[in-house]
Amino acid sequence: MTPGTMQGMIQDSMMTETDPQVAKSPEVALAVRNLNFYYGENHALHDISVDFPARRVTAMIGPSGCGKSTLLRVFNRMYDLYPGQRATGEVIFDGRNVLDRDLDLNILRARVGMVFQKPTPFPMSIYDNIAFGVRLHEKMNKADMDARVQDVLTRVALWNEVRDRLNAPASGLSGGQQQRLCIARSIATRPEVLLLDEPTSALDPISTARIEELLDELKEEFTIAIVTHNMQQAARCADQVAFFYMGRLIEVDSADRMFTNPKQQQTQDYITGRFG
Amino acid sequence: MADRSHIVKSYEQELGQLRSMMAQMGGIVENQVALALSAIADRNEEAADAAARQDPEVDQLEREVESLAIRLLALRSPMAGDLREIVAALKITGDLERIGDYASSIARRSLRIRMPENQISLSGLRSMGRLVQENLRRSIDAITQQDSNRAMEVWHSDRAVDEYYTALFRELVTYMMEDARNIRACTELLFIAKNLERIGDHATNIAERVFYAVTGDNLPSLRPRGGPASALTVAETMQEPDVR
Repeated sequence: MTPGTMQGMIQDSMMTETDPQVAKSPEVALAVRNLNFYYGENHALHDISVDFPARRVTAMIGPSGCGKSTLLRVFNRMYDLYPGQRATGEVIFDGRNVLDRDLDLNILRARVGMVFQKPTPFPMSIYDNIAFGVRLHEKMNKADMDARVQDVLTRVALWNEVRDRLNAPASGLSGGQQQRLCIARSIATRPEVLLLDEPTSALDPISTARIEELLDELKEEFTIAIVTHNMQQAARCADQVAFFYMGRLIEVDSADRMFTNPKQQQTQDYITGRFG
Repeated sequence: MADRSHIVKSYEQELGQLRSMMAQMGGIVENQVALALSAIADRNEEAADAAARQDPEVDQLEREVESLAIRLLALRSPMAGDLREIVAALKITGDLERIGDYASSIARRSLRIRMPENQISLSGLRSMGRLVQENLRRSIDAITQQDSNRAMEVWHSDRAVDEYYTALFRELVTYMMEDARNIRACTELLFIAKNLERIGDHATNIAERVFYAVTGDNLPSLRPRGGPASALTVAETMQEPDVR
């Protein structure tokens, strides 16, 4: 038997043993394993294990206080800002545990961007809102910075609306424009993961639709985790949906299965509006 | 069991209204089929008229169910079990309307049959009618009780309806071959048998839709089949050695 044939046989046997589902499943950007989270004595997340597939939108739903925003805040170690908050377990991102004490948080937060419920533009010009974060991580000349600003503003479909007033204060923009500016600011540092905590809850339907369209485009490049109270929004935007209740992950599935045929009664009750 | 009512009471009321309209429609259609079968079996002209007269009411209910279902989809954005139930109702109402049409078609046809004296036995048609009626009753029970087991029973029983139809087809063709004077009555009876078989199919459709609405799973796309009922040709029947 020639070595070539041998190799062929090994490859064949590998092919046949590969589960087609597994072969097709996308790579995992964030792998949460046995995560527990505590606000002081309060045990807020119980043994959460879930994968966030790369370049997909994962929506987290559940009633207030179920732990979905807490989980989001673990991903970029936001909780480190507050004493008494601690996490155990693992959140594997690019081969490293996000929870490691010696992890460089500045680098982590540049790679894992976050957008909040209310638009939070800095009290400076539209241009500087974007340039500010970039300058912290990269040295670049004016021309490159101009190009970066134009690039991200174009991608959030804001460029045509603000190109003539880049030096005007960002506070003069409408709520929807401010939120798109915040998303532009988050992606300007070229993160891999984008975390959104109810990004459209303060916006009108048109601005909401623009943000949702934006997510659809951004997911080609970024892994997106979105917390939303709006079930229809989760159904419209997400590839994968995770339902949390009282700090536990009850069910995670593709959006179409989750909203047509959830497996758990608690999920069914919550998404149909029967929660007692 | 825990209370599974909606937090929004008006939504719950609208779903209740949809269910009660489906039950009402099912009840009328069931009655139409019963009247149509009595029209054949007992030569009951009144029953035949009554069956046909109920058609407009069924059509009207179909439109009302459709419009309520569309309103629920638009205004309530139903999810999961609610979504499945409403979409199933949209489709079931079409099945029920077709069953009503077939029942009144059977009733009208029964009035036209001039049966040659004592030559043609209707016992096969009666038995088939009873089974179809039973399947329809079970599928309507499955709707009102949201009972997937009932639905499954109907689904399995469609095979027997097909077998009845195949046997009846052969029997009626034999009558026609024996005596040309039977042709007119037997042709009408063949259409009636075909309509009954179609009613059975729609009852099975309903069962499949209820099963999906209740469980979220689909029954296999291939139903259990009894015989080549709907594909059977007269030529095939005549080639059978035991026909004569």
